[in-house]
Amino acid sequence: MALFSKKAAAATDCFFQLFSEAQDRKGEPDLPCADSFLGLQRMVLRDFLKEFFITRWFTPKACRPLSLVFSQFREVLKANNQALEIIADMGEKLSGEYLFDLRYVESTVEEMIVAMRRAIAAINTLTQDQCTALNEVFIPMEARVRAILNKRDDREGPPLIWLGEVETRHWPLVGGKAAHLSELLHNPKVRVPEGFVITTRLFHDLLDVNGLRPEFDRFEHLLSDHHPDEEAVENLRRLLQEKVLRAEPPSNLLESLADFLQRLASVSGPNFFLAVRSSAQEEDMDFSFAGQFHSVLQVPPQAEAVYRAYLEVAASLFGSKAIRYRRQVFPEGGTMSIAACCQRMISARASGIIYSVDPMEPGSQSMVVVGALGQGQAVVEGQVPTDFFKIAKGEPPRIVERMIAAKHESLVPMGGADGGLAMQAVSIDQAEAPCLDDRTLLDLASQAAHLETFFKRPQDIEWTMDPLETLYILQSRPLLITESAKGKPRLSEKLEGYELIASDAGRVAQQGIGAGPVYWVENLADLKDFPEGAVLISHRDSSQFVQVMHRAAAIVTEVGTPASHMATLCRELRVPCLVGVPEIMARVTPGEEITVDAEDRRIYRGRVVELLTYQASTSMDLHMAPEFRMLRRILRDVSRLNLVDPLMQEFKPEGCKTFHDVLRFIHETAVLELVELGRDDRCLPGGMARRLDLPIQAGILAIDIGGGIAPDAPRDLIPFTAIRSIPFRAILQGMLFPGAWHQETMPVSFRDMMHSMMTTPQDTLSGQYTGHNIAIISETYVNLCFRFGYHFNIIDAFCHDVERDNHIYFRFLGGATDIAKRSRRATLIATILEAFDFSVKTRGDLVIARTGNLIQSEMERTLDILGRLIGFTRQLDVQMTDDQAVARYAEAFLMGDYGVVADKR
Amino acid sequence: MSEANTRLLVVDDEPIVGKRLKQVFDKIGFEVETYTDSASALSAIKNRPFDIVVTDLKMEGIDGIEVLKRVRSTNPGTRVIIITGYASADTAELAEKHGVFAFLAKPFRLDELKQVIYRAVETDRAKK
Repeated sequence: MALFSKKAAAATDCFFQLFSEAQDRKGEPDLPCADSFLGLQRMVLRDFLKEFFITRWFTPKACRPLSLVFSQFREVLKANNQALEIIADMGEKLSGEYLFDLRYVESTVEEMIVAMRRAIAAINTLTQDQCTALNEVFIPMEARVRAILNKRDDREGPPLIWLGEVETRHWPLVGGKAAHLSELLHNPKVRVPEGFVITTRLFHDLLDVNGLRPEFDRFEHLLSDHHPDEEAVENLRRLLQEKVLRAEPPSNLLESLADFLQRLASVSGPNFFLAVRSSAQEEDMDFSFAGQFHSVLQVPPQAEAVYRAYLEVAASLFGSKAIRYRRQVFPEGGTMSIAACCQRMISARASGIIYSVDPMEPGSQSMVVVGALGQGQAVVEGQVPTDFFKIAKGEPPRIVERMIAAKHESLVPMGGADGGLAMQAVSIDQAEAPCLDDRTLLDLASQAAHLETFFKRPQDIEWTMDPLETLYILQSRPLLITESAKGKPRLSEKLEGYELIASDAGRVAQQGIGAGPVYWVENLADLKDFPEGAVLISHRDSSQFVQVMHRAAAIVTEVGTPASHMATLCRELRVPCLVGVPEIMARVTPGEEITVDAEDRRIYRGRVVELLTYQASTSMDLHMAPEFRMLRRILRDVSRLNLVDPLMQEFKPEGCKTFHDVLRFIHETAVLELVELGRDDRCLPGGMARRLDLPIQAGILAIDIGGGIAPDAPRDLIPFTAIRSIPFRAILQGMLFPGAWHQETMPVSFRDMMHSMMTTPQDTLSGQYTGHNIAIISETYVNLCFRFGYHFNIIDAFCHDVERDNHIYFRFLGGATDIAKRSRRATLIATILEAFDFSVKTRGDLVIARTGNLIQSEMERTLDILGRLIGFTRQLDVQMTDDQAVARYAEAFLMGDYGVVADKR
Repeated sequence: MSEANTRLLVVDDEPIVGKRLKQVFDKIGFEVETYTDSASALSAIKNRPFDIVVTDLKMEGIDGIEVLKRVRSTNPGTRVIIITGYASADTAELAEKHGVFAFLAKPFRLDELKQVIYRAVETDRAKK
């Protein structure tokens, strides 16, 4: 008990110290599985207290043998990879390179669900059931995917939804037009009027409530028949059309509509009217269904009026021209339902259409604008004479042709409370003036160019301009360009005139053709200035490229595989992409135009107009098959990655929106579990640690959990040459780099010394390894904990031949000086790590950094740099007297000038 | 590859197959015709022979094996390739027996089919 009281005294001091520092650390970014930094502190405290205020001879609950933890980690990786491979496999099928059928989709989805469950079980084994929240998150995800397979995905969800709140998983419910508009709503470059959507869920409820389900099912069945009874089709069609037009609303609909209208009123201001427009399931996705469905404009903001307008839209699903069009584009059938997009109407001074490519001359690099005064309906229905403008694309765009029409009439609101539009005469000077001035016209052109890059194909855009000359986008859909077959020289011959930069180039991550100026991305900071419509050229692939994918015409990388995160994102966002094209960076110049044919795996110098035209006219057909549409819908729920950066706030089970998010989350959690391996001394096997014999005084003890040290190495004092752990060896190599590690101690000022005496290092635990630096290693793994002096540094790395599994986790904390100097050192470390493509977070003197998905040689190179960094910054906080010091030392390190520390420059 | 203007026929009851293959082989310079029912495909073949026929296995009416047999008997110079989502060792053997040039299971990479077709064109040319 004497032991108890002495230690108790020390413990009490430490306890208060730790507690107050834990208080300081409140508000740390959350780390997964409730292992927030604060949580960790509490865990440390708890264990601490357990040790000294409960009798010492009870072993703590959670100690598992290291090798067991490590093998459980490997199990998580294996399960994760299985699921990821299935997802990547399905994604590859979508890339356009494959032919597949419905059976494939069904059986693969089952396999994937099984693999996901296995991965969730594995992470719970590793973390001892800290991740059971994942099960709750996964259940609705699985249900949604099954709903898609059972073709019920348009029936499950809210009946009404605010346009700004539409997420990817709502797309089947809101229809193509609304889905596109909701994407545009979040795009800062264009303006879209607010509104809400009456979803397909409501449509199905309407059918059920009005007893129309049997007729609807029979009708759909007839449509998928190859040779149906045409009379039966026509009768059912007419019946459904009439009955829907007179349908009773499902209960509560009118009240909900009133609520939504109230919300719309609060953002629209007084005296607004609505446009209720069709948004069918496949509309605007790849098929325009232009003019096939009904839209009602200038609807007064009352629930009853909106409902009546909605019924007109819904009934138009069964209109004769809509059904005729549908049977033409979907000859094999496939059910279809309809939603309605209700937005506030913009009081239009002028409206019209802009095509981002001239459909008459697709190769001419120009856009076409038509416009009239008043509402756009008159333009699309061809009711009025219109102005015509031609604009040459480029930076900046140029107006090259103008034809002003005499616009004697315009379509304007009737003015009454009942709404409605009517034609009105226009004064002579207004009629003969251009509907848009040059400035607005050019603004419109750059918005159209942006939308073309955003949606990755030429766009047919409806625009409108209010009296204050603000432009709004009302619709943006794929532009149909048809190639005339006669007298067209074969494409293959035309291509011979262009210089090939690369052929048989790499592997296809996503098919497609894209052209634009080259933009090199050498590190993540370069992404900030990524120009619109450029081709991203980089050495390695990174899921961080998602930030610019909407602006990229194509992506080409020197390393990478079609199964990487980035490739998955390219498929999700349909960015043409080739990976594994060696030395492409050297073969192109930044700024020069190139064309990437990510179908035939060729890269051409210059802009191959013929290829781009070919793409515009043929890319649509592929998506017609029901299997393709279904697989795409499934993959939207499965493979889109939302949790990209593990250091972000939303990295929690609840932040997982797709299967892929769950898998990413699982991987990160597994890594963090390993990282903590080396922290708790009491769980490390006594007597297994062996000293290393290095030219530098690093005081490292190594614990080999499998293949980390050569079997014939001496029991103690192991030389560098006997280290078999790939990642550990790389770090040591860096530490041993000439000049990186400084032997002599920095002179410390009196003030600094006082600080250090009053600060007890954060993670001190009284245990068998106090004061030692521990490396837990295997052939492919290292967990290195440095605890020298007053700081604490963890490097955790896993490195083998499957690049997706590889990670480096780096955490650094503390120092011997005041918080200002320590923070500067943290900033220095962060600056250097960012230059090496780490994702970094700092808070005061704490730095957490992460990188991964690198091939083995890149891993080794990066770990070497980390080794040098450890040596370089070891005592550097003393030197961090001002903020300029940070920049100076960062630059010195990046230039390889490690001697600068000793020079005390 | 394109100077001889190779004639390719695709028959599969899923329209997507014909459309996709037409896209790919048009780009290369073949003359491509596509059909979704075997009867019309066979009459087209009778009108003017093709160098290569790509056919599905399971189709209504005349199935893939039957197409194979008829083409091999009337136009022995034509190479027939079978693509199917219901591949089995037995059907592969049966197709082999009736002189199929290649047998591909769906899903397959279009590249694979391209390679097979290039091979078919080469052996064809070698014979001539």
